[in-house]
Amino acid sequence: MKASGSSGWKGPVKFRMPTAENLVPIRLDIQFEGQRYKDAFTWNPSDPDSEILVFARRTVKDLKLPQAFNTQISQSIQSQLADFRAYEGQDMYTGEKIIPIKLDLRVNHTLIKDQFLWDLNNFESDPEEFARTLCKDLGVEDPEVGPAVAFAIREQLYEIAVQSVTSARESRLSKKSRRGSDYGSASKAGLSMDLVKLFSFKSSVVRKRKDLDFYEPMVDMLTNEEVDALEGREERHAR
Amino acid sequence: MATDAPIPGGSSEILPTTTPIIPETPSEISASSNSLQPPPPSSCIHIPSYSRWFSWTEINECETRSLPEFFDSRSSSSKKNPRFYLYLRNSIIKQYRDEHPNRISFTDVRRTLVGDVVSIRRVFDFLDAWGLINYSGSASSAKPLKWDDKEAVASSETTSTVKESAKRICNGCKSVCSVACFASEKYELTLCARCYVRGNYRVGINSSEFKRVELSEESKTGWSEKETLLLLEAVMHYGDDWKKVATHVTGRTEKDCVAQFVKLPFGEQFAKDSDSEDALETFDQIKGSADPETEGKVKDGSSSPDNKRMKLTPLADASNPIMAQAAFLSALAGTKVAEAAARAAVTALSDVDHEADKNTGGDPNRQEINGNDSERAVAEAKSLVEKEEKEVDGAIREIVEVEMMKIRDRIVHFEKLDLEMERSRKQLEEMKNLLFTDQLNIYFHTRRSRKAEDRAEC
Repeated sequence: MKASGSSGWKGPVKFRMPTAENLVPIRLDIQFEGQRYKDAFTWNPSDPDSEILVFARRTVKDLKLPQAFNTQISQSIQSQLADFRAYEGQDMYTGEKIIPIKLDLRVNHTLIKDQFLWDLNNFESDPEEFARTLCKDLGVEDPEVGPAVAFAIREQLYEIAVQSVTSARESRLSKKSRRGSDYGSASKAGLSMDLVKLFSFKSSVVRKRKDLDFYEPMVDMLTNEEVDALEGREERHAR
Repeated sequence: MATDAPIPGGSSEILPTTTPIIPETPSEISASSNSLQPPPPSSCIHIPSYSRWFSWTEINECETRSLPEFFDSRSSSSKKNPRFYLYLRNSIIKQYRDEHPNRISFTDVRRTLVGDVVSIRRVFDFLDAWGLINYSGSASSAKPLKWDDKEAVASSETTSTVKESAKRICNGCKSVCSVACFASEKYELTLCARCYVRGNYRVGINSSEFKRVELSEESKTGWSEKETLLLLEAVMHYGDDWKKVATHVTGRTEKDCVAQFVKLPFGEQFAKDSDSEDALETFDQIKGSADPETEGKVKDGSSSPDNKRMKLTPLADASNPIMAQAAFLSALAGTKVAEAAARAAVTALSDVDHEADKNTGGDPNRQEINGNDSERAVAEAKSLVEKEEKEVDGAIREIVEVEMMKIRDRIVHFEKLDLEMERSRKQLEEMKNLLFTDQLNIYFHTRRSRKAEDRAEC
């Protein structure tokens, strides 16, 4: 059984989002002249940069924002894309990583709390599909929840991918000829889990009863007052 | 791609979303040209006729062409597949129809759809261009125009523009231009002929920039008899070549000629061959009865020989106006066409009668036929059932045979065992016998030896 851990070692992969589609999560939070524009969406980095300006203009027109937002939006998107592209040339080790992904978001009147395991090595994974299915299964009526869930998943995957790149870089600087499998194993601040431990012959695939509550999704509908209260709290935190 | 691009101003088409409220649509528009989900409760949703191809479950060729990224098999990621495109397209349209009659913006859509925003924007723009969303309809009226009405509108437009130009006031001398005027679109000037000739316009404008616009006094009042005569003459000579007709009828545009021709009493005639001459003859006759004054002129204008005038089409002067119309139309269409049409009409009528007869008195006949059909069906079913039974029987037989063979084998085996048993029993018997004889022998021997001992002692 021990050998299987090291057999999962993969060579360093070029950085990319570990999902079927290489989409970048973009978050916008612009304040200008007392108006605040918050948004989050996914962007395809292979689209030409001319699309950024088109998108910014469209958004400004649709939301009737002042023209100054135009440049700010484009710049923000540009910088986030540039960050992503900066990582793209570098290597990352993925190893046998199964990470827990946590959802804790509020979209209009819906509150979602969830936790589940995600295989970082599965480059065919699809957060969008997952979000669509989640909303359908939980009977979420607000159509804006789906994209928000997909975005949250993508953001977390992005962060972890970035971490793996930086850790790979550090290890290469500090210690040479170190096998990648060590990074894949459960060590990163206890985030990732070892497949071996999980699926050893002693344990079963079925979750232990005490873990059931952790991994259950929870959807809450908030009333208007609760929404206002939460929003007020969020704004205070932001400032 | 020119054929694919939507032509603005196309006639609208009604999608009947709420059946009781729909006004009667003209016969050309089919009631439901695409499969709709249960209709939303709001009012009618219009889509332009050039988007008639839309269907909820299918993808049309123009979509594949305009948005190749979703249908490219070798695209970078496998997720950009037609299913994803269908999801985007259908969600956007559903969302628009929920919001109808409000328009939806791209941002509204983008917020509710799971996917990368650039793809969403492309689908949104595509749907917007084809009028499947945010379409307000160029024709504000609910009913699409009939062909006649369109003609009327077109002709009224042309006449109105002609009228407008007739009311043009010269920029130079501020007088109403009547006969001919010169207009320059570039500088938006209108000059009467006198001013143009005199050069009474601004410095810097070249005389070549002006276009001559013919105005005719009669455009306001309508066609004079002379013009009508010329028109008929021209049509007879040139047939469908309206350009030549227009030149023959001086001072009228092609459109005007066509419009006027259509408006002529008893419809128009497409002058092509000798049939048309006959038709013109009837026209002469009919018109002659109505307007004896022009008859002479028309006759003079027409080149048909005099003797043809004597030929009367049947019922041409009948007092029954419908028959007259029918006669005229049949003459118009030509003998062969009229014959064919009449024959078809007669057969159709006879079919209808036949149906009516059947319905009332031909019931047993029909039933017989029906009975035959049902009998046939029953027989077929029976044969099928028999076949099945036979198959089942065969299967059972086979099973039984197999079981029997099994039992036979077991019996054989048992018999063998039995034989073995017998043999071993026999052996046992023999051994017993041997043992007994041995025992006897020993006993005799011992007795003999004892007897011998006794004798020896005595």
